[in-house]
Amino acid sequence: MEQVIWVEILSRQLGVIARHRCTGPEIRIGRGYDNDIVLDDTSIAAAHLRIARNADGVLMAEDLGSANGLYAGHAKERVRRVAIDADQPLRIGNTLLRIREPGYQVAAEKAERAPHVAISTVAAIGVATLLLQVLILWLNETTEPRFASYLPTLLGVPAVALAWTASWALLCRIFSGHPRFIRNLFIAFSVFLAYTLFTSAVALVAFGFSWHPIATYQYAIAWCFFAVVCVLHLREISASHLPLKAGIAAALAALAIGSQTILRSEVSGTQRSYALVLLPPALHVIPAKSQDVFFSNIEKLKQSLDRDRTESPDGD
Amino acid sequence: MLDLADDLAVISLEGHDDGHFVFDPRPLGDLTKGERLYAMGNPLDLGFSIVDGTYNGLVEHSYVQRIHFSGALNPGMSGGPTVTADGRVVGINVAHQVGGELVSFLVPAQFAESLLARADATDPPTPESLRAEIGRQLTDWSTKLHDAVGAVGLKPAGFGPYLAPQIDSPWFTCWAETNAGRVPKPRASIEATHCTSDTRLFVSEDLNTGMISLTQSLVRSVDLNQFQFATFLAQQVRLPWLGPAPRKWFTPQRCEEGFTKAPTSGTGPPIDAVWCARAYRQFDGLYDVAVMSVTQDSGSEALVSRLGIQGVTYENAMALTKRIFAALQWSK
Repeated sequence: MEQVIWVEILSRQLGVIARHRCTGPEIRIGRGYDNDIVLDDTSIAAAHLRIARNADGVLMAEDLGSANGLYAGHAKERVRRVAIDADQPLRIGNTLLRIREPGYQVAAEKAERAPHVAISTVAAIGVATLLLQVLILWLNETTEPRFASYLPTLLGVPAVALAWTASWALLCRIFSGHPRFIRNLFIAFSVFLAYTLFTSAVALVAFGFSWHPIATYQYAIAWCFFAVVCVLHLREISASHLPLKAGIAAALAALAIGSQTILRSEVSGTQRSYALVLLPPALHVIPAKSQDVFFSNIEKLKQSLDRDRTESPDGD
Repeated sequence: MLDLADDLAVISLEGHDDGHFVFDPRPLGDLTKGERLYAMGNPLDLGFSIVDGTYNGLVEHSYVQRIHFSGALNPGMSGGPTVTADGRVVGINVAHQVGGELVSFLVPAQFAESLLARADATDPPTPESLRAEIGRQLTDWSTKLHDAVGAVGLKPAGFGPYLAPQIDSPWFTCWAETNAGRVPKPRASIEATHCTSDTRLFVSEDLNTGMISLTQSLVRSVDLNQFQFATFLAQQVRLPWLGPAPRKWFTPQRCEEGFTKAPTSGTGPPIDAVWCARAYRQFDGLYDVAVMSVTQDSGSEALVSRLGIQGVTYENAMALTKRIFAALQWSK
């Protein structure tokens, strides 16, 4: 009866580099050309390993007297003989081997990833993003309108989007085999569009409701959007360990927000002029308040100023 | 002993008895314009020099009393005496007009005389107490200045449909400005009046304080839509931070913004107001304040007010701001 045994040469990440189908009661592995499987690893002996069934019918691996020995997986002690485990690699020299028989059960097939995003959808979102940027640029135009002032945006937005997507698609290709360019482009445009809508909404709300401090913390939300888009791209590469990746992205975003906060308070401070955001007065939502409220808030400011006086001027 | 307002200090030299000047006993009114005077000092480190010039009375429209001396005072002569032909001190050299020629200023001798009398009557201050003394004199000077400002009227001036106040005092210098002549033609017109007080007080090489400035601008859209006009307004409103703000002297700026209505309803437009202040680290109770307001009753036209006050107590700054806000009205 023909016995089929699969001998797999593995990479360090346990990916299969080569797979050999062997038959026969016994399989010899080594560097010499009289073996069934010839390996070029210089740390392997000419005749290094023998795979065969023992008296009880269990498939065994046996060291044929090599200098560097046989190890089960990452074990530190060399063994002379070991029973074959279909999931446990063996190490000889610098090579990882895995032995499997035809009876090995493989996992059920995975459902195909979410369907392809239609190019028309991505194009629509891309155009919407670009138009929104142009609209914002136009609404802030105070000098003679010239095509040249829109050109940087018209060229820049697609260029940056493509460069960003190409980088992620490259990582996707390297680590998962498929670049998924359209899906990555979809993610990039969608998040950018969402971010632009969000910042516009913040400006409207800050002005309409006179909640002026919220505009100053916008940079924190920008970092959150950045973290989200990176996690979405990472998910395209591989859906494994997603909570861990999200956690790392969140931690890095927190670090970025913290550093920028410190930088803003240190560098600007006295020199930064107040960034006033003005919109058409009709967009005021809440009615004007009495001046007494304004002046009582200013009184409170005095206490903060007096407290600042007690702090050292060399970086607080 | 020092007199901050008049830039004078009394110092004692040990072991010197080479003689001294006497003050001219005549009151300033008794000197005649054109009288020959001789300023002494060490200009530009060239060595002791005598510079002759003419007495031209007290500077008019000035908050502080200064003699206009038509002679060439140069850096290095500050603190030196200016004497009459018979050697009596009429004034102490203090400044010259940058960009002018033979336009210089002296502190009238009477201030030096009274400072000297005060120094004789009290113990010399310790170095540690000098800083507190400067703070006290600054606060005193500022309070007097703001009492004087409080006493003058706010002259309402017409800016389009608005009446905006200007401080009606001879020691405020005002000038008008417009952007009408610019090329390319601006898409919103600005007509502004700037007023600053002639009250700069020297504290140190990197600290001058005491100035009050008030600018009123009428900004009108020519062909900007409401969003574009709002952006244009925001650009106009870079707060005028009267001079640099080294960390050594000032705490970081803190601001408060509010959308407020006129104090007496129906008289004036609602405004978007911003108040920014920074405290003097070395002098308790003194602040620099910048206030800005933009009217919010029209999407194509607005009055922008900018008020800057250096070296002021918080209460005086608030009082002046309230007065100016209350005077911003619609013209009937």
